[in-house]
Amino acid sequence: MSDRIVFEDVSKFYGEILGVNRVNLAIPPGITSLVGPNGSGKTTLMNLMTGLVRPSRGKIQVLGYRTDDPENLFKLVGYSTQFDSSPKGLTGYQFLYFYLQLSGCDSRTAEQAAWRAIERVNLVADAGRNIAGYSKGMRQRIRLAQALAHDPKVLVLDEPLNGLDPLARSEMIALFRAAAERGCYVIISSHILHEVDVISDQVILLSNGYVVAEGQIQNVRSEIQEHPTQILIRCTRPRDLAAKMIESELASEVVIHNDNRGLLLKTRSADNFYLALNRLIVNGVEIESITPADDDVLSVYEYLIGNEEVVR
Amino acid sequence: MAVYRRSYKPYTGVLTATWWRWLVLFRYSRRNLFRSKVQTVLLTICFFYPLLCLAFIYLAHNVGFLAQIGVSGNLISIDNTFFFRFLSAQGVLAFLLTAFVGPGLISPDLANGALPLYFCRPFSRAEYLAGKSSVLAITLSQITWIPGLILFAVQAGFAGPRWAWNHLWVAGSLILGSLIWIAILSLLAMALSAWVKWRIVAGALLLAVMFFGAGFGQAINAVLRTQTGYFLNLAYLMTEVWSNLFGIDSEHGISVADAWIALLLYCGICLFLLMRKVRAYEVIR
Amino acid sequence: MKTFWWRQIKAVVRLELKKTFFAKRGLWIYLVAALPVFLFMAYAMAVSREQGRMTEMAHEGGKELTYQDLLAVKPGMTNDEVVALLGKPDVHFYWTEHRHTSAQRIEDILHEKYNYSDGQHSLYVEFVNGKAETVMLGEGSNLIRDSIVFAGVFQFFFLRLGLFFGCLGIFMNLFRGEVLDRSLHFYFLAPIRREVLMLGKFLAGLIATCTIFVTSEVLQTTAFLWAYRPSVRNLYLYHNHGLEHAAAYVGITVLACIGYGAFFLIAGMFFRNPIAPTAVILIWEGINPFLPAVLKQFSVIYYLKSLSPVDVPTPPGMHPVLALLISNSNPVSAPVAVLGLLTVALIALCVSSLRVRRMEINYTTE
Repeated sequence: MSDRIVFEDVSKFYGEILGVNRVNLAIPPGITSLVGPNGSGKTTLMNLMTGLVRPSRGKIQVLGYRTDDPENLFKLVGYSTQFDSSPKGLTGYQFLYFYLQLSGCDSRTAEQAAWRAIERVNLVADAGRNIAGYSKGMRQRIRLAQALAHDPKVLVLDEPLNGLDPLARSEMIALFRAAAERGCYVIISSHILHEVDVISDQVILLSNGYVVAEGQIQNVRSEIQEHPTQILIRCTRPRDLAAKMIESELASEVVIHNDNRGLLLKTRSADNFYLALNRLIVNGVEIESITPADDDVLSVYEYLIGNEEVVR
Repeated sequence: MAVYRRSYKPYTGVLTATWWRWLVLFRYSRRNLFRSKVQTVLLTICFFYPLLCLAFIYLAHNVGFLAQIGVSGNLISIDNTFFFRFLSAQGVLAFLLTAFVGPGLISPDLANGALPLYFCRPFSRAEYLAGKSSVLAITLSQITWIPGLILFAVQAGFAGPRWAWNHLWVAGSLILGSLIWIAILSLLAMALSAWVKWRIVAGALLLAVMFFGAGFGQAINAVLRTQTGYFLNLAYLMTEVWSNLFGIDSEHGISVADAWIALLLYCGICLFLLMRKVRAYEVIR
Repeated sequence: MKTFWWRQIKAVVRLELKKTFFAKRGLWIYLVAALPVFLFMAYAMAVSREQGRMTEMAHEGGKELTYQDLLAVKPGMTNDEVVALLGKPDVHFYWTEHRHTSAQRIEDILHEKYNYSDGQHSLYVEFVNGKAETVMLGEGSNLIRDSIVFAGVFQFFFLRLGLFFGCLGIFMNLFRGEVLDRSLHFYFLAPIRREVLMLGKFLAGLIATCTIFVTSEVLQTTAFLWAYRPSVRNLYLYHNHGLEHAAAYVGITVLACIGYGAFFLIAGMFFRNPIAPTAVILIWEGINPFLPAVLKQFSVIYYLKSLSPVDVPTPPGMHPVLALLISNSNPVSAPVAVLGLLTVALIALCVSSLRVRRMEINYTTE
């Protein structure tokens, strides 16, 4: 059995409209974020992964299982979709209970697992209410509960933090992290880049149906050669340090920070810069911190895709 | 200090005159209508029979040609019965066209919560309904009384002014008969689509009202040995009224006056249903 | 594995039944099924009222009449002759008409109406100036004769329209309704084989339609027989194949649910708009008598008509084309009809399974 979620040359067309094109991926365990603007193919990729749509070309396997074999696939996979609807007339509890019964659980197991999932998403008080009367955040949580209910190995979560309040967000993020630490595959699509940055082990950047980058964010950043690396140095006497940096020719551009307590420099060779850093420190300059300023998802997104429709 | 920057600039251009504002809806709805290939094909089919009738009128006035092909000149007579049959045939097609077109007029607006968007503008419910129903009214007119009048004019051209004068009432019947049928179909289609919201279910429901109503009416007549079942048969009621308008003998299961009253009652019920549903807000229970 | 699948099927059935039986949008199906019941309830009331009236007339009349007595009255007889034959009428109406016979003359014409009954039949005689002009012998309610009307309503209204549209509503809703509600993904996200899901949904639809329409059929039969005296009812049920007919109607209803259900299930998967397939199936069922023998077999109504226990005679004066629609030129034997229908349904289910395997969730195109 493979230990990856594998896309081999996968394309999906909706008539004449491109969903995704020539996608090759091998997603490892941990939290993987799908990042891209609206219509870039994130949901299509998730739907392909879960067999809700079929690829026009190529092959997909989730831990060795084909996506057109739902009976085996969904024993491993839990998918929280963006579709904001459920079968009519069900309460939150019934929604989970029937889902678990459809999964083949007997009545007692389904009941226990349903309550366990409800507790995990903090919906116990509202479990007896009809889903149609739920708020947006509650619907999001019950969908997450559905995805988590049968303790799947692979969690596919389409915009899972949408509509959740800050407290619920941090609870959910903790839940995802815990799942990742147990060795689960957590695939998340999100627009909220600073959250993606915090939780992701790796990212897949999508634009117009194409995968434009994938991997750990630092590795992706280091491969983007056309944009110099930005480094923020918090220190005293930033002007003296800036002069030294320009003189050394390792920095191509230096900007003094507005509060006069640091500088932002750009370098084309970050490794050489770090090696030479001790030599470049001027006497009397006190360094507080040295941090890369653009090896986060937001910067990579801006470099590779542009800054449209990004929630910072 | 807070900065209040006014970025919204209201529209200052020319507004469509109030009287014609409902035509904006007509324009856009009509455009949607012809996006569907099925509907375009169906509309095209609706013109076959008028063309056939045109050929009949031409042949009826070319006795020599008929003699050549061995058909008696008296076989085709262009009179009130001819126009009654024309309207009956086009009436069936008008119903089929309504079943496809009608439900798509209001239900998408209701399903997508678009009514508040319409009514937050200087646009009344009556204008909304007029705009939507005009799509059906104009489309169905194109296949009923307009070709009917063209046929009448062609026949009058061949037969002369005396025929035209003597049969002017047929033209009137053609227009009145068509307009009643168009009004019933439009109101029924819109009322059903407003109540069920699903475009396709509303279409199926329209079929059901017509066929099921007729079937149940017949069952009532057979079981209870009565004629009151005809009140459930819209097509029968309409045929009674048409027969009366065109001076044709009919079965007379119920009187013409009863048929008129029943049809007006149907229109009233449909209007009531529409007025209950077409509102700027929706109560979600 | 079979236990696992069976458990899943039971879960699907339970969920679907909850949706079908208790959904507000499905109320019209109950109405469709209830309408013929109401109709036969009205019939029962009318029959019992008529019977009561005739019994009362027969009791109140001066002479105990037989059917032969009523038959003896002919047009042209005088009222004295009729009174001599049948006695004083139970019900007697009269009025005088002032008729203009020529320009200045008005003639008084006496109209009389006599009404007799033997308890089961009623005789209406209209006299004009003392001479019988119209003689009408009302048959009264007759269970055997009305059982043909019942068969007609069953074949032409209940089967072809009520059950047809009821199955359309329930079976189209199984997949197409879920797509329109944007909730089909709920099922597709569960570890369940699509074929098992399809089978579960079909069984749920079948249970729902059978429950609703078989109940309707039983209630119709009950209401139809209710008005008759127990002796007449027993005679019809146990000595005139009434019970067999009632059982046959229930069987046909179940088979119709299977046949139409399979058709509409498949139509709901292949077509976005049910108007087109509904119209096609209606037309296909309608033109069935004109089709070649091979094609006839791919129709539900062909088998159902073959199974119908009572042949509905063509009403006099009916258009030949309609008459042809009513008659079943070459009916098949009952086992062949049942097997044929089940085979057609099975083929439809197999095609549905192939289709459901390839179904995708793409709500935006709806």
